[in-house]
Amino acid sequence: MATTTHPTTPVPPPVASGTPAARPASRARRRPAPGVATILKWVVLGLGALVMLVPLYIMVINAFKPQDAIISSPLAITPDTFSLEYLQAALTSEKFNVVKAYGITLLFVALVNLCGIALAAPVAYVIARGRSRWHLGLLLLFVSGLFIPGQVTLIPVVFVLRVLGLINTIPGFILFETAATLPVTIFLFAAYLKTVPRDIDEAAALDGAGKIRAFWSCVFPIMRPVVATIVVLNSISVWNDFVSPQIILGPSSGIYTVTTGVYAAVGEFSTDYTTVFPTLLLAVSPAILFFVLMQRHIIGGLVAGATKG
Amino acid sequence: MATTVPLARARRRPAARVWRDRLPGIVMGGPAVLVFLAMFIVPMFLAFVLSLTDWNGYSLNFTFIGLENYAEAFRNPRTVDAAVFTAVVAFCGTVLCNAVGLFIAALIAGNSRANTLLRTIFFYPYIISALIIGFLWSAMLSPEGAVNGLLGHLGVGPVPFLTEVAFAKASVILTIVWSHFGFNMILFLAGIKSVPTEYYEAATVDGASKWQQFRNVTLPLIAPVFTVNLVLTLVGLLKVYDIVLALTDGGPAGSTQTIVYQILRDSFANSELGFGAAQSVVLLLVTAVLGLAVTFARRGAEKKVAD
Repeated sequence: MATTTHPTTPVPPPVASGTPAARPASRARRRPAPGVATILKWVVLGLGALVMLVPLYIMVINAFKPQDAIISSPLAITPDTFSLEYLQAALTSEKFNVVKAYGITLLFVALVNLCGIALAAPVAYVIARGRSRWHLGLLLLFVSGLFIPGQVTLIPVVFVLRVLGLINTIPGFILFETAATLPVTIFLFAAYLKTVPRDIDEAAALDGAGKIRAFWSCVFPIMRPVVATIVVLNSISVWNDFVSPQIILGPSSGIYTVTTGVYAAVGEFSTDYTTVFPTLLLAVSPAILFFVLMQRHIIGGLVAGATKG
Repeated sequence: MATTVPLARARRRPAARVWRDRLPGIVMGGPAVLVFLAMFIVPMFLAFVLSLTDWNGYSLNFTFIGLENYAEAFRNPRTVDAAVFTAVVAFCGTVLCNAVGLFIAALIAGNSRANTLLRTIFFYPYIISALIIGFLWSAMLSPEGAVNGLLGHLGVGPVPFLTEVAFAKASVILTIVWSHFGFNMILFLAGIKSVPTEYYEAATVDGASKWQQFRNVTLPLIAPVFTVNLVLTLVGLLKVYDIVLALTDGGPAGSTQTIVYQILRDSFANSELGFGAAQSVVLLLVTAVLGLAVTFARRGAEKKVAD
């Protein structure tokens, strides 16, 4: 795979070499001998990068090896020990249907995003446009949720969901996860909407649109950047959540997300590395892929979410 | 002040019209408020009520036992040990994540391609589920895992990373730092990049060294980012659970159980829901107090910059 990417890399540089590449080159010419500090810096960074990447490398290569080869030489892979059978076994495992878990988790991510934004956007609009004490109170109510750890409310939430008849069901899980996204979402939406000029609402009102229609058709489309931030934040947190699906859906429902499925598959067999590494590799791949493709948006979203929230 | 105007106006208008004006706001805000009340506010009060009972989670009769659960939380050695370990994880984790994050951010703040690549490499574990991080390191740190395999080649005997108390505690903290400092680094990077370059130019003219520039220009100006990093990491680590479950499962001999591990075990596996609720109320209070305390303590540092 590495060899297929190499022939493509020489193509972009001629386009990019105009300004960004030229400057470092000229600077390097001015200072031919890098100082001790520079060398030390790159040694530190290189070692750091190694510490970050070796676990990933170990996970990838050991997904294709038998148990004794994993234990005797964890860092090497040879053609005679290479085998796809373990990955295939993990893919078709009866204990943990990975493909189904991808589908279910993706569905949850989509539903929570949809419900969270559909609930949060209008109330954030009301808060941002309101001038009374009630509106401020409403904002404080939601923001207080930022300081309540999800695990603290989880026990009584189980109780509430049982009363509502939604325990061990998908709607119950979506309800909880959606509520968990509301504080951050409403806070960021309201902050953003305060920067949107009121002229837009007023123009829509002049055209005869009601308040609700004016919001969805004229104001909501302007919120695109902040909606993107929220989608990034929510998607990562729902995809990675383990405690809430484990407790609200529970093993009795037979509904597994990627995390609860990994726990079910790896939890008991954690010394059988031919199960552990392929399962972890399968569980991690979509997240890594998503990260590589959307890196700029993910990092931008996290920074925006954390520094404004 | 703000409410007197609408009130006066409302008195002059017929009630039906007032409600018609309010209706869109209620329709738009109502559903979110209902969901939030049902899943956040009501459960929070329920947690408090349940913490005063001896309910086991499923029987129909339970009795109010006052603050007995709270007294038990401070007496029970398992809970006290878990609370102490959680405090150690939260403190060491917060310090290390921010120290490493700031150090690396300072080294890779430039806009070169190598720096962008390094940023990706240091950050990627953050987007992987903590449970999976825990399982991965658990496999690598086990007696016959990759790390001990490598140490064996160097002639160092197997290190009991996960099977001896002190090593297991250190392994939990270092695994958390490995997977989390990238997030702190990203925020520090954003802070460092928002410092106007004129400040550095002025400092260079004044003959300030790189270290002096970092100490006297960068550090004060990223004080707000520092606060966010400290609060988010601290609050996040107080409820650490997934990574411990996968890495050590609380072992050896319960030495790495955290408070959330304890809460969930008591509430569900041990059927002591009342006791679990009491512990979670204490956690909630501690989290809120510490979060606010750090924010207020840091306000001084931030103000100094503004002046």
